[in-house]
Amino acid sequence: MSLQHRRDFLRSLGLSAAALPLLGGLASLGAAEPPPGRRQRVIFVFSPNGVVPPAFWPDEEGANFKLKPIMKPFEPFKDRMLTLKGVNNRVRGDGDSHMRGMSCLLTGIELFPGNIMGGGGAPAGWASGPSIDQVIRNYLQSKPETKTRMGSLEIGVAVGNRADPWTRWSYAGPNQPVAPISSPYELFDKLYGSMKEGENLGSVLDGLKDDISKVANAVDKSDRGLLDQHATALRELERGLKESQSQAALKVPHPPEAGVPLDNDSIPTITRLQTELLISAFQNDMARVSTFQFTNSVGGARMKWIGIDESHHSLSHDPDLNTGSVEKLIKINTWFAEQIAFLAKRLQETPEPNGKGNMLDNTTIVWTNELGKGNSHTHEDIPWVLIGGGLGFKSGRALKFKKEAHNRLLMSIAKGFGHPMKTFGNPSLCEGGELKLS
Amino acid sequence: MSLSRSIKIAAALVGVALLAFAGRQGQRYYKKNLAAPRDGEVVYREDCMRCHGPVGQGVAGKADEPLVGEKSVASLAKYIVREMPENDPGTLSLADATASAEYIHKAFYSAEARARNHPPRIELAHLTVRQYRESIADLLGSLRGTTSTTESGGLAGVYRERPERDPKMPDRNRPETTFKQQVDPVIDFDFGDKAPEKGTYAAQFSINWSGSVLIPDTGEYEFRVTSPNGVRLYVNPPENGSEKNALIDLWVSSGMSRSAQAPIFLLGGRSYPLKLEFFKFKDKTAGLKLEWRPPGGDWTVIPRTNLSPKFSSYVNVISVPLPPDDGSIGYERGASVSREWTEAVAKGALQVSAMIGPNLYGLAGTKADAADRADKLKAFSLRFAQLAYRRPLAAEQKADIEKIYAGGVPAEVAAKRSFIFTLSNPYFLYPGIGAQDDYAVASRLALSLWDSVPDAQLLQAAASGQLKAEAQVRKQALRMMKDPRAKAKLRDFLHHWLHVEEGSEIAKDQKEYPGFDQGVVMDLRTSLDLFAEDIVWSEQSDYRQLLLGDTILMNDRLAKFYGQKIVPGAGFQPVKMDADQRAGVLTHPYVLATFSYTKSSSPIHRGVFVTRNILGRMLKPPPMAIAFMDDKFDPSFTMREKVTELTSKPACQSCHVTINPLGFSFERFDAVGRVRATDNKKPVDAVADYTTADGTVIKLTGARDVATHAAESLSGQTGFVRNLFQALVKQPPTAYSPELLGQLTEKFRADKFHVRNLAVEVAVVAALRPTVAAPAPSNR
Repeated sequence: MSLQHRRDFLRSLGLSAAALPLLGGLASLGAAEPPPGRRQRVIFVFSPNGVVPPAFWPDEEGANFKLKPIMKPFEPFKDRMLTLKGVNNRVRGDGDSHMRGMSCLLTGIELFPGNIMGGGGAPAGWASGPSIDQVIRNYLQSKPETKTRMGSLEIGVAVGNRADPWTRWSYAGPNQPVAPISSPYELFDKLYGSMKEGENLGSVLDGLKDDISKVANAVDKSDRGLLDQHATALRELERGLKESQSQAALKVPHPPEAGVPLDNDSIPTITRLQTELLISAFQNDMARVSTFQFTNSVGGARMKWIGIDESHHSLSHDPDLNTGSVEKLIKINTWFAEQIAFLAKRLQETPEPNGKGNMLDNTTIVWTNELGKGNSHTHEDIPWVLIGGGLGFKSGRALKFKKEAHNRLLMSIAKGFGHPMKTFGNPSLCEGGELKLS
Repeated sequence: MSLSRSIKIAAALVGVALLAFAGRQGQRYYKKNLAAPRDGEVVYREDCMRCHGPVGQGVAGKADEPLVGEKSVASLAKYIVREMPENDPGTLSLADATASAEYIHKAFYSAEARARNHPPRIELAHLTVRQYRESIADLLGSLRGTTSTTESGGLAGVYRERPERDPKMPDRNRPETTFKQQVDPVIDFDFGDKAPEKGTYAAQFSINWSGSVLIPDTGEYEFRVTSPNGVRLYVNPPENGSEKNALIDLWVSSGMSRSAQAPIFLLGGRSYPLKLEFFKFKDKTAGLKLEWRPPGGDWTVIPRTNLSPKFSSYVNVISVPLPPDDGSIGYERGASVSREWTEAVAKGALQVSAMIGPNLYGLAGTKADAADRADKLKAFSLRFAQLAYRRPLAAEQKADIEKIYAGGVPAEVAAKRSFIFTLSNPYFLYPGIGAQDDYAVASRLALSLWDSVPDAQLLQAAASGQLKAEAQVRKQALRMMKDPRAKAKLRDFLHHWLHVEEGSEIAKDQKEYPGFDQGVVMDLRTSLDLFAEDIVWSEQSDYRQLLLGDTILMNDRLAKFYGQKIVPGAGFQPVKMDADQRAGVLTHPYVLATFSYTKSSSPIHRGVFVTRNILGRMLKPPPMAIAFMDDKFDPSFTMREKVTELTSKPACQSCHVTINPLGFSFERFDAVGRVRATDNKKPVDAVADYTTADGTVIKLTGARDVATHAAESLSGQTGFVRNLFQALVKQPPTAYSPELLGQLTEKFRADKFHVRNLAVEVAVVAALRPTVAAPAPSNR
């Protein structure tokens, strides 16, 4: 975490830029009663380089469908999932298929012309509009009954350090990409940093008060006054910390275990840590919207933990005839599905804080991808899998569409939250309104 | 009652009143002219004590202020005869007034009396804000080893192109070739649609600049990048090379020019790594501008004097806001502890802990999965505390840290807590406590000359017992003067001496002084800094030159405003202006403008500044606050006439008899420091009689006479020595010995007023003297 700027630092402590005393800022955390009513949530999950269609899409249509190998981990959730085949990314314009696959995925709108050159097509800039997660977030934040401290959390696992159209899929507006937090330590700090710092500071106060009184006894009488002032100030600091810690009704989880390097081999551990932090953030109702990004477009994870040494991206370029590569790609995508199944399981295991049902009842996970298939770079049959509830969709079905624009699916999700939008992204791709999924 | 009877009673009453009056007048006359002279102390007890208290401390509701000051016995007697007692002035005989003046002067009024009654002592104080930030920056820097530079000239640029030699090769795989490397003085380019160099590829090229930015003063700096192309700017990024640390990321562009700016808090007197990455990919045009806005200044392209092609390492800047220090006695000291300050210090410790976090294992020489990492982390915490406390740890202090590690939390959490504990600890915050040994000498030297912690060489010298003799200490001090931190410390002193910060709020009426804008003010400040620093860092380092130098450094903008001729485009150059009028810093337009009103000069502000800061004389605050309301005066009055009228009351004159002549001497300069012959259509009168501290009367005919007096008079020189001593040591020299100030001034005179040598002498004296008599923490 780079802490060059004082405001960034204070923000990372969860305090506003108007130098709130350490204590005043803490007191505002979650002290109020949770608002009544259903807590609808959505998590958009990204994995790169397309899928292996025959091992992914159910053959059947409708309620009686069988899960293919990649989706086998979703077996426990079969009755609350939706697969949607035939929903395509029809946004054209500048940028290569990876860039457009990534940055038009949640925005449904063209990229600006620009200076970033991909593997083909014209060079491009950022997306020219906001992404659906940010639009839903702003809608929820605008209403007191659905407003939360942060609104949304943009989470990443092993996302590249460069900010460009391959690493960003969430946009607050045109030319306004939102950076994901790839470090569980950074994410923990963002959510609970100020509380942990308060705890650490509180733990050393006794030792400090001791030292002050030792020094006070040893100095000249006329200097004691200064140290008395200091002792008094420390006592006030301590009192304030105790007060705000008892007020804050947050359930602070264990911090992520120390010393996890943020590298390729730690991807499984990081995924688990980020998942747990997301669950805890939902439990404390700090946000209702999230994006969860595995690497980035053309992501090159080397999944050594399942016996694969090659980079994901290079494997995805191999032709279909290379059955060895195809098998590995299936394994890779199955691994992604397992992570999502874990997320779904954790949501299901967690009761809703206001007592009704579990969090999966009200949370929809949307798993998607930049491409339909890696080696063809097609934008047809973009992999869409929805797991969970809360949006009023009729789940437990495998759906097939005829080359529908994905803008319409994004609209369905937004409308599930009650957003009144008539179009989203490029309006010409919204004909017919949202897809009817309920 | 009959009429005749009432007339008789009235006559009787009038008669009694007349008798009483005559009696009273007779009494006064008797007392003043016929009574025997009384002993001074007797006069005081009979006529003065009821308002001034038994030892001159004052009586609430009567004479609120203590009876202290700097007048001589003679001038005190003169004042008493004319003005006292306040309710019936003029009743004392000259003999009685003189006797009482002698008594008062000796018993409690004079500086010697005050020192005798309340012997000044070296007081306990915590780190000032500046000392706190500098100490932490250097403490964390010493954990890694650092590089810095003072060499300016621009940034080192590497120019590369990516020509389309093989149309079949995809864009991304084409190699880049370097075609030019050079130092660019400033970053302000407009390439249009062309290549940066003839013959190279115009559609795709990149330039990477690296080096350092040289920051003059502490504060928040804003940087701004403007370009239609892709740019990333890094300023003082952590050393992991990640793009996430870019201060400004405009990498992705859409061909249209846009700007982005970002602020960053930086410490003055240091160099910081700066990297600028730029590329053009088939955009229509190409160009790049790198600007900054220093604190209190305006946007300009970063000048080459503030850019270096040499590398610097990362600096740990604690940017947490801290409440300002107590400056009530004329210099900053950590003399009080507020809740605000304690919280800010706690937040600073948290910021340090967060900075160390990502590099914790590396700094502790261990790895995340090492079996002995807990031990290594503990050893690191102990080493950290040793550096922070400026000496090897006592057993008790070691035990404190070990207790934190035994607290049932993971070692990484214990490490975090130990940093917070150490940096909030009194042994870090109060450098004066602890054993008064060689380490204490090292600590005092580092604080006086650098406002920071001892470096490795000082710590070595302390460890081997080589900071005991004056010669050894002087040797270290001379070495330390060559460090850029000493320059920064003296610059800080010069700023306090000349009230440079006050000048950042200069704003003049645009109708009276068109063109005197923020840019001119910023340039004037630079001009003053350069002038003063050039003198202090020259071989002679002559204090008198600060007051008597007759050139002003001007750049193009200043030359234009003040109507002077210089070589255009060549930066700041010395200009000889109005040689018979100008006198060093006192007549530098920045100082004159600081001590002026929006539309006119201010003899009172200038007079007070000269009295206190330049001549080192004491001035009490005014008995009542008076606002200067221009429209209340006769509209034909000059400023001198207005001030004379405003301060004519005797109560005001006790101080204004000193302030006014000094202020009037500067009347030939207007509110922006230009020479003028008339004020409000009348000729300027800058001649005045001034009574010096020892009672002599000198005639001042203008600013140069004031400067000459300040440069050549013992009281002026003593005042300067006192100011420098207090700025460096943050204690009064009288707390060390009553003769010290006199001795230092003698040495200063004998040394031809060499300022840097004076700083060394001050540091040596202060270093060898124990501060607080406090035994060290126990080694049980």
